Amino acid sequence: MDSDEEDYVFYGTPIEREEEVTSRKKKAVAEASGQLRTLPSWKQEVRDEEGRRRFHGAFTGGYSAGYFNTVGSKEGWTPQTFVSSRKNRAEVKQQSIFSFLDEDEKSELAGQSLGTSSQFDTFGFTAAEIARGQAEKEQQKRPSAIPGPVPDEIVLPATESIGVKLLLKMGWRRGRSIKDSHANSVYDVKREARKAFLAFSSDDAKAQAADSESIQGDLENYIEQPASDEVISSQGTCVYGLTPKQDLHGLGFDPYKNAPEFRERKRSRISDNRDPEYGKALSVKNSLFGFKSGKVAPGFGIGALEELDAEDEDVFASDYDFEETYVQEIDEPSTKSMVDNKRKLIKNERGVLLGFRLASNADYQPERFDPPLVPKDFVPCHKFAGPLETDHKVPDAGPPEVSPPEDNNLKLLIDGVATLVARCGKLFEDISREKNQSNPLFSFLLGGNGHDYYVRKLWEARQKRADQKKHQLDGKASPSLPKLTAESRGKILGERPLERSSNDANPSVASSDSIHLQYNLSDTFTKPASFSELPEVVKPFKEDPAKQERFERFLKEKYQGGLRTTQFSGAVNLSEAARARERLDFEAAAEAIEKGTRGKETKTSTQHIAEFLTTGGMRFTSGGLEKAEDTHADISKEMYPKRGEYQWHPSPMLCKRFDLIDPYMGKPPPAPRMRSKIDTLIFTPDSVTAKNVEETTADNRDSFAIPQIDAQGISKDVSDKEIEVEVAVENVERPVDLYKAIFSDDSDEEEDAIPIVNKVEYPEKKVEAANTALNRLMAGDFLESLGKELGLELPPDPPYSTNKARPSASQKVVNENPGNDNVLHVEAKPPLTTNVSSECPINPAVLHDKEMAQDGRQKKNEPIDGDSAKSRVAEIVSSKNNNDQVNPEKIHQEDRKVKTRRRSSSTTSSSEDERSRRLSRRHRHRSSDSDSDSSSDHRHRSRSRGRRKESSREKSRSSRKHSKHHGHRSRVSPIRSHYGSEKEGLESKREKHRRRS
Amino acid sequence: MSSAELPRKEANVLRGHEGAVLAARFNADGNYCLSCGKDRTIRLWNPHRGLHIKTYKSHGREVRDVHVTPDNSKLCSCGGDRQIFYWDVATGRVIRKFRGHDGEVNAVKFNEYSSVVVSAGYDQSLRAWDCRSHSTEPIQIIDSFSDSVMSVCLTKTEIIGGSVDGTVRTFDIRIGREVADDLGQPVNCISMSNDGNCILASCLDSKLRLLDR
Repeated sequence: MDSDEEDYVFYGTPIEREEEVTSRKKKAVAEASGQLRTLPSWKQEVRDEEGRRRFHGAFTGGYSAGYFNTVGSKEGWTPQTFVSSRKNRAEVKQQSIFSFLDEDEKSELAGQSLGTSSQFDTFGFTAAEIARGQAEKEQQKRPSAIPGPVPDEIVLPATESIGVKLLLKMGWRRGRSIKDSHANSVYDVKREARKAFLAFSSDDAKAQAADSESIQGDLENYIEQPASDEVISSQGTCVYGLTPKQDLHGLGFDPYKNAPEFRERKRSRISDNRDPEYGKALSVKNSLFGFKSGKVAPGFGIGALEELDAEDEDVFASDYDFEETYVQEIDEPSTKSMVDNKRKLIKNERGVLLGFRLASNADYQPERFDPPLVPKDFVPCHKFAGPLETDHKVPDAGPPEVSPPEDNNLKLLIDGVATLVARCGKLFEDISREKNQSNPLFSFLLGGNGHDYYVRKLWEARQKRADQKKHQLDGKASPSLPKLTAESRGKILGERPLERSSNDANPSVASSDSIHLQYNLSDTFTKPASFSELPEVVKPFKEDPAKQERFERFLKEKYQGGLRTTQFSGAVNLSEAARARERLDFEAAAEAIEKGTRGKETKTSTQHIAEFLTTGGMRFTSGGLEKAEDTHADISKEMYPKRGEYQWHPSPMLCKRFDLIDPYMGKPPPAPRMRSKIDTLIFTPDSVTAKNVEETTADNRDSFAIPQIDAQGISKDVSDKEIEVEVAVENVERPVDLYKAIFSDDSDEEEDAIPIVNKVEYPEKKVEAANTALNRLMAGDFLESLGKELGLELPPDPPYSTNKARPSASQKVVNENPGNDNVLHVEAKPPLTTNVSSECPINPAVLHDKEMAQDGRQKKNEPIDGDSAKSRVAEIVSSKNNNDQVNPEKIHQEDRKVKTRRRSSSTTSSSEDERSRRLSRRHRHRSSDSDSDSSSDHRHRSRSRGRRKESSREKSRSSRKHSKHHGHRSRVSPIRSHYGSEKEGLESKREKHRRRS
Repeated sequence: MSSAELPRKEANVLRGHEGAVLAARFNADGNYCLSCGKDRTIRLWNPHRGLHIKTYKSHGREVRDVHVTPDNSKLCSCGGDRQIFYWDVATGRVIRKFRGHDGEVNAVKFNEYSSVVVSAGYDQSLRAWDCRSHSTEPIQIIDSFSDSVMSVCLTKTEIIGGSVDGTVRTFDIRIGREVADDLGQPVNCISMSNDGNCILASCLDSKLRLLDR
């Protein structure tokens, strides 16, 4: 068989062997019949009617993957160009039930319906029937009693019968007789062929009347041009037209039976109805285009060139149709709307109804009015009779001075009017003249009594105004004016300054300027000239001539504007407070004077004038705040610009990239940022005096850098300052000594831990030393907290182990004499207690709390200031309580810390406490090797490196921190010296181990 | 220079930006200029002929500053998207993005060898970024400023930054010192004289301050 197949060529599909198919089917049937039912469910297989397996494993295609486990369609995969369906998406898809049915369901459904297939519908009856039924259905859907007549008239539900189709294909066209006119011509044969071709090509298209007609038309155009000799057709067949019944009359009833003219009229009206203006044209069009619904929006005409499409159809006008066609049809002549009437008029011109004629005079005639007469001299552009004269230049030489009239009232009135006229221009004068023509009081306007005086006054007032304007311009030109910052503007407008700006740390040069500016501006807002004459008479400080003088100067400055000094030169000998008070006095007095004069004016003039004059008072009185700012400004003026030098460690990579030698090459990573105090402290060995100065200046800066929130702020500060400074001297001194003590005496101990530290006073080395000290101190802190946590009794500190190294006398005093220390402590304490007690009274509970916190159980994250202050106080007190455990120096340190905190007024947070807490927290995490690693240098250095960012961010804090650290160090070192020396070897070993791991 | 020599006429208008222009910089020899703005683009111009040469688009927000290397091969730019972009001029591609600033980046400069980009940010820091290596970490963070750093200048040996905290800080790499000149007024922009002896600082009190160095 196989070899045979090589030789033969097969055509077509071979017939399948009967047995194969049947066997498979049999098998399937057998399986279905229940043989398989005995099998357990997981062994059963689903097969189709052909007996093929329908389910496959996942790797063999799953359930009939694709088209019977092939590609996706019956045809297989064919290359296609992508066609976007985006545009079609919006189209309404014709959905029928068939689109949702499966094929078998469809076949089921098809079996139920019975009808002539279109193949045998010879006369097209069935199709027509269906179409008619469709139309009827549509008819029923329309509003109940109103059959829409127009579309039905025009669009007939019609289908082509097969005969017509055949005829058409053979060349017959509608409206022609069926006859063989010119069969013989060769041309005709060709034509027939072409026609047939065309017809067949268009055969697929639906046999709609319109469609075929259009094609027909095309054909006709195409054909008839050459075949011009064609005989004009005679009406061979009559077109059977259906006229559906569309009225409510009885069958066979013709309402126009005896009045045919109305029928005519109705027809015309219907066409009118469609389009009143283009009625005629439209009717022609209708017949031409035969559009589906004749409903066209009334009132919307169509241009001659436009085509009528769906948009022009009136979809809402069915009611209107109804009214027109039926109601009015019956009693036509009687009811006529206005519109209709008009239309009738127009129509009448075209043609009058049969048997009627136009009336010579209509009953109804619309009223008409003539337009008003425009005067001949009317100019359409308006000109103002009296132009505003405020801008005009005032003539220099005024009218001669005239003595005021005797009548005081009249004088005041004249004054007022003059001012007003000067302000508002000549127009005001004209108006008032017109208004008060009869009023004898205003005769001065008309040249009567006091006219001369009025003229003079008016001139004066104008002069004044001109001056003022000039002054304003001057003011604008003055240098201080243009720089209106937001802040100063806010101040001028009386806004409450923002939190930051009011507490601004650097009241700058500009702030003092802004005060000037404020005065200047307020001056420009007032009318300096108008008041300049007045206050001379008023002398509120007659009893004190010096004061009066100052007041006058004040007034002058106030009302004249321009720059002025911050201080009154006359009041040099006065104290600041007195000056401020006096200034306030002056302000009040000036305001009183101003008010008085204004009051006078308002009394004299009419109410108008009062309104005009109340503008722009002196509302911007200076407050105490500005006073304070003045003093600050003085300070800050001297302070800027200022230069500071700090150490900065460029990263080695940066140096490399900049092609420079690293200045800190081979040196350990940079210490945490040094800030002003500590820097100067380190780099100037004997800096006590310099330090002192620095301290005070820093203090000064602080005092205005930080908002003084509490009321006691300034006054207390002043009183406390001396004490503070005194204390500060001691404090400042000490760290240096401390360092000496640490680094010179204990160096033998620490040599192994910090090999870099030498006795040589090399600045960088010192920094380094400080750094390590800091680290150590942290370690010490940690040790301490650790010991407490573990409940170990710390070995009592060798109290004054480093004492001998301290040359400072004062320090010695403090250290040796606890009582003295206490005194000192108390001395510095008052500010502390005042500060703290406002927030929390010191009570045992707090103490207890604190002790618990010291135990290491406190888990608060960030101690707020109040807290820290609290804790500090608690610490102090507790240390007092059990004095034997804590060395007095610590107390002192604590005390100092609190004090510095107070001085920096609560912005610093207790970094130290926080640190110890953190350390202890960290310790808890790795409690296994807890007791040893604390002093390891490396860890903490890296730690400190990590914190560097934070510390340098808060300058104010860091500047304090260092001093704290020194203190801390001193506290810690004894512990370390005692505690750490024993475990040094172990520690270092462990540390190494850790580093390796 | 007499007043007659001063330029008086508008030579060209470079049109093309679709938003505010925030910075315009000449290249080293002055033949080209770069502008950047709120339309998130950087544009390269030939200002003398008024030609728009290239547009660099990649920034997600406004571009606040741009700088070009002396050899015109690389650009760096910064802006509101907290990143510094390191561009190749010819291809217009971003070679590297440096992330790390916590706020908008106000200014950016190359050093002399175009090996480091120094950026000044709203996060009170100056950061130096390495263009040579592939690391995107800053090689140096200078955060001694206490307010937004508005402007940065580089010399062969120094980094100079002007900040809103009123300081102009000069970081000398050679000796590892920082010199802080507190002007008392927020400094908006600093610029160095050609001989490198002075710094001109524009402050928010409507004053320019010329500093000797």
